[in-house]
Amino acid sequence: MPTGPAAVPTEPKPPLPAALSETAPPSAAPIAGEVVLDVQDLRTYFFTYAGVVKALDGVTFQLRRGETLGMVGETGCGKSVTAFSVVRLIPDPPGRIVKGRVLFRGADLLRGLAAEASFHPLKGTPRVKVSRRFRLIRHANERMEAIRGRRIAMIFQEPTQALNPVFSVANQVGEIVYLHRGTEVLDEMLTATPNARDVAPAVAALMTAVAGKRLDEIRRAAIEVGRAAHSSRLATEAFYIARAANRPPVLHRDLLAAIAHLRISPFRRQYLVYRRRLLELREQTNRIHIAELSGDPGKTGGKSVVRARMLSERLRHFYFGVWGVRRWVHKPLDEALFWRVVRILEGVHIANPVQVARGFPHELSGGMLQRVMIAMALSAEPDVLLADEPTTALDVTIQAQILELIGDLRRRIGTAILLITHDLAVLAEVADRVCVMYAGQIVEHGTTREIYRQPLHPYTQGLLASVPRMDHPEKELSSIPGSVPDLLVPPNGCRFHPRCPYAMPICRERRPPMTQEGPDHTVACYLYKGPRVGG
Amino acid sequence: MSTYVVRRALLIPPVLVGVVTITFVLFAALPVQYQLTAHFGSPTVKQRCGYQPSCSCATLNPASIVGNNCTCISPPTNTTRAGICANPVYQEYVNKLGLDKPIPEQWAQYIYRSFTFQWGTVSNHSTVATVYPVLKGVPVTTAVEWELPYTMELAALSLLIILGVSIPLGNLSAVNRNRPVDQISRVISFSGYALPAFLLGSFMVAGIVLLFLPHTGFLVKGPWCPGGEPLDEEITYSIPQALACYPGLAVGGTYPAWVANGVHSTPTGVYTLDALVHGNDWLAADSLVRILLPALLIAYGAIAGLLRFVRNSMLEVMNLDFIRTARAGGVPESVVTSRHAGRNSLNVTVTVLGLTFAAFLGGFPVIEDVFHLNGIGEMLAIAANPNPGLDFGVIFGTTILFTFIIVIANLIVDVLYAFLDPRVRLG
Amino acid sequence: MSTSVLVPRRRGPKPHPRIAQAKRTWYLLRRNKLALVGLGIILMIAGIAVYSATLPLPWSNVPIWCATDYGPQNSQSGSPGNFTQDCPTTAPIICTYEVTPPPNAARFCNGLWYPDIVRSNISFASIIAPTLSVSPLSFGPMPLGGLATSSGSRTPIYDVYTSLLRGSDWSLMFSVSIVGLGALVGLLVGAIAGFYGGILDETLMRIVDVFLSIPTILFVIVVVAVLSVDIPSGAGSTVIIKIVAMILGFTIVWWPFYARIVRGQVLTVREQKYVEAARASGARQRRILLRHIVPNSVFPVFIQFSLDVGTIPLLIGSLVFLGFGSLLFPSTPFPEWGSISAVSVSDLQLDFLTSCYTAATGCVIPWWQLLFPGLALFFFAISVNLLSDGLRDALDPRLRR
Repeated sequence: MPTGPAAVPTEPKPPLPAALSETAPPSAAPIAGEVVLDVQDLRTYFFTYAGVVKALDGVTFQLRRGETLGMVGETGCGKSVTAFSVVRLIPDPPGRIVKGRVLFRGADLLRGLAAEASFHPLKGTPRVKVSRRFRLIRHANERMEAIRGRRIAMIFQEPTQALNPVFSVANQVGEIVYLHRGTEVLDEMLTATPNARDVAPAVAALMTAVAGKRLDEIRRAAIEVGRAAHSSRLATEAFYIARAANRPPVLHRDLLAAIAHLRISPFRRQYLVYRRRLLELREQTNRIHIAELSGDPGKTGGKSVVRARMLSERLRHFYFGVWGVRRWVHKPLDEALFWRVVRILEGVHIANPVQVARGFPHELSGGMLQRVMIAMALSAEPDVLLADEPTTALDVTIQAQILELIGDLRRRIGTAILLITHDLAVLAEVADRVCVMYAGQIVEHGTTREIYRQPLHPYTQGLLASVPRMDHPEKELSSIPGSVPDLLVPPNGCRFHPRCPYAMPICRERRPPMTQEGPDHTVACYLYKGPRVGG
Repeated sequence: MSTYVVRRALLIPPVLVGVVTITFVLFAALPVQYQLTAHFGSPTVKQRCGYQPSCSCATLNPASIVGNNCTCISPPTNTTRAGICANPVYQEYVNKLGLDKPIPEQWAQYIYRSFTFQWGTVSNHSTVATVYPVLKGVPVTTAVEWELPYTMELAALSLLIILGVSIPLGNLSAVNRNRPVDQISRVISFSGYALPAFLLGSFMVAGIVLLFLPHTGFLVKGPWCPGGEPLDEEITYSIPQALACYPGLAVGGTYPAWVANGVHSTPTGVYTLDALVHGNDWLAADSLVRILLPALLIAYGAIAGLLRFVRNSMLEVMNLDFIRTARAGGVPESVVTSRHAGRNSLNVTVTVLGLTFAAFLGGFPVIEDVFHLNGIGEMLAIAANPNPGLDFGVIFGTTILFTFIIVIANLIVDVLYAFLDPRVRLG
Repeated sequence: MSTSVLVPRRRGPKPHPRIAQAKRTWYLLRRNKLALVGLGIILMIAGIAVYSATLPLPWSNVPIWCATDYGPQNSQSGSPGNFTQDCPTTAPIICTYEVTPPPNAARFCNGLWYPDIVRSNISFASIIAPTLSVSPLSFGPMPLGGLATSSGSRTPIYDVYTSLLRGSDWSLMFSVSIVGLGALVGLLVGAIAGFYGGILDETLMRIVDVFLSIPTILFVIVVVAVLSVDIPSGAGSTVIIKIVAMILGFTIVWWPFYARIVRGQVLTVREQKYVEAARASGARQRRILLRHIVPNSVFPVFIQFSLDVGTIPLLIGSLVFLGFGSLLFPSTPFPEWGSISAVSVSDLQLDFLTSCYTAATGCVIPWWQLLFPGLALFFFAISVNLLSDGLRDALDPRLRR
């Protein structure tokens, strides 16, 4: 990243890009695929002791179903803040989303933003007064619980710090699975009735398969066992028992024990029904929240009723809260979630999921933990995945595996991915479209191919030019002169103008609007005179 | 886990030896007769006879000899010009205690005595003997055995109150930073820190006495007041009467059959539990309320320190990455606060609790003295009163005891910490 | 509900980092109203201490008449005479200020004065310079009431108000010297242990652990008890020896806290980059220790210092309450806040409890003797605590918003 002083570049000005003389066609045809996430004029400010940091100042972009949008920029340009703002994870003091709309499948995630707080400079003093309404803010955060994890998932940068060190991996992933897929798990537990006659032949088949020592056969046999008992948990458990067993008597005994665990005593069954009911009520609350966000007038009421119902459920079953009772009665659910987690970890290509699930975060490597995080994020099959620099903290080889994993899962589930990174090579590999950010604003937006082939904005050109190339080893490394602006007092007009080789007087006065320069290529620069694009 | 516990337990003996060494340094600094009194209660001689040129004890000031006669143990010689008269019983005591041996040997003997619970005897002339004549000449260990349950009772109740208030309140004030809850907790922690306990205790006692003046008719003198009535199942007892009796419970009067000598009761040694065992609900309730106020006072001081710490550690934990992950995963905020954050801040809280345990125990002497509870704290407070006389046996004995308790408490805290944090447990 | 936050906008070039940090600390401290209150109270107390130590009080050469108040129940009519056998002897002594003394000022039974007086004039000399005791009857009006050391007898009366004034400088002096010495010793030990590490660190920390296992009050009791017996009281012991012995005794108890804190901080600071840089540039161990490690580890010491300063008078008070007054101080009652409040408590507890319990109606509980010294202690400790908490919030980078 360029770190030189903000001086006038001493090299001769590079020739103007070819696209300046062309005029872009009047309206570009939209790319097929519905828009899942529509961010409009998002502004996020941080009110710190040193002043107001305008971290995001009018960010607009769309994310379409199934595509990967890469967001690239230098450190501190606001990429992560964008992702956090979408799901409202900005810590409220000191930050605040001050303006904007985030439309997610018709629901405005920032609904009611204006009422939550306001800020205005005080007359006569160089101070800014911020007033927050905490109850509204807390209410808004509660609403987001319906969306986070389930519809919009997020993975973070430092996987070694991202998990709670005192709980096991299975515990934490299981918690997320329970929140989003708990009804399925509980239903399966409640309906599983292992019938000895149905299960015995499948068990025998499994034992034969183990003797044959072929993993795929064992797998198939285990699935059969699960099907016979109507329990996918048993399938997973049986597979791992089979894989680990040494002698047939031990194997048989363990398999029978696993099948016996499927039977649940009436008291525990009552507990499971109770949990199922609580999850149902939670689901109702979530639906109401989403209705509120979508602005549907009809379905918004009734939250207090649901809450009252939840409370009455809890009071009626208060004895489940006693410490000893709860530990005993919760065990089957714990185990079911454990095996579900194992299956999910299989899905992210972890070779020894049982050990990983039983282990604690401090025992696992960064790459492994990132896989666990991805598993957690995608377990609920969300519509959008926000990946905040997932590979920055990992080695290059692990990086490749993780990216491949994300791509693979995207193909299978169809999630739209917002991939935030500062590594251009990663984007070239994975992203369909790219968004270039500078100092809290988007300066260029288009398909990867377009941007890499014909970068329009001088900043993008600088970025691409600064990548060292293997095919021209003798070339000097070029860098963008100057350094990232201080977001406390950002430059007027176009924020890049102090470092831009093509800066014009108008660049210092007004911020350039986003203009359409190609069928799917927009840029915010006064060098180009295409038609304006909203936002 | 068990290896950790064993490893940690192995660290205890050196610390105990160290503490006993410090006590030994102070003990050995005492003049010889104080050491003797501390150990034997009250040897029949107060001091040596002193130097006499003619070694004739008759010429000695009789007031300087208490009890036995002096004999000449080394007559004056041509070179020394002065003889030494001494009391052979005194010499015998000195030999028994090993006070004429070199210091390292004395140290070894002291350590041995401390670890085998030979901590001395309550002396016959000290404050303790004046206030509790029952304890005259009793070995310190026995006195402690009688009085320890009361302190344990008070400590248990205080700990319950401390944990029950400071952890939830600290969590709440961290989550609602600078909101009303935080301001309240700030007020509590500041005022609790600055409280002169003895003053507040006296105010409380005075207030209660004023509230329940005899003329209101509710007071009945209990069996533990001087000249009190025997305990009767049918009479309703009021709470502050125990407080209104001074100087203490063990001075005489009639007691229920299962209270022996008024200093300790059977079988558990505390009035609360024993009353329950014997089916006397009123006495049990009475005893519980009697220790409620002192427990609140002790708890208030400890909560002051702990509350701040819980709040600060909770604030730190809430800024960590995994909280963000949990929120992004859709975990409800209340669960994030209680399960994820609370569990992590519990580690720090447990550590701080262990560190402040020493200060917590330090409040006991004053509180027990103010409220006249029969605990080892009160015994120490009485022993430390120089008015009739300091009782060094009790002072040193209780010091060693308190330190043992603290060391064991620290061990428990460390084990608890390992139990809570898998990083420590699994290495 | 809403809150408001005032955030300044910065203009102009950036100032020097140390100055900027100091300014920011002051700004954050200023925003914390409670910390300001604490600071104000401490400054006021310090001012009182200075004032009372150096200036003579304006009321001098005025007599005080004190007598025993037997309460309204023992109403005696008639002329003053010898009523010793009629008025009960267990009652507190109160003092009033009158410019013109009654003719036979003495016992004050039901509003009348009777012969049996304690009276004296104020001597100017007793007001100058820190006094070693609160001399009886040497001060002016008693707006806060009288302080009796043992009621029912005719021992001298002390003015609560002036005792508190006098006590401020002694309290401050004891607190600062004890904690300061303890902090210094602890800083030394902790810095050495943390910096050099290894066996030295292990042994020093074991010693610190051992010291920390003994509860403070107990340790002080034991140390003072032993010292009191060893230092013969009487002609040999001067005032200085007693006070120095007390300070030393407390310091022995106090230094381990600081050693542990400093060691923890030194361990963190030792890993910082600038220490590595200093070492790489060839600086000697001792220089690194003094110039880099110590100044950067001193921050938690300040916090702990300010916390402890408030608690020392409380601790002294507890000890005096337990009966140690004569052992700690060269004379009793000593004009130190803890001592005053404890004396009043312990000496009166017996009296008013038994009198209120046994008497049929009406007992006088001299609440003023308990309340005002207690309030002084309370405000001192709280103000110090508030200030230190404000400082900690202002200086701690992790809690900053």
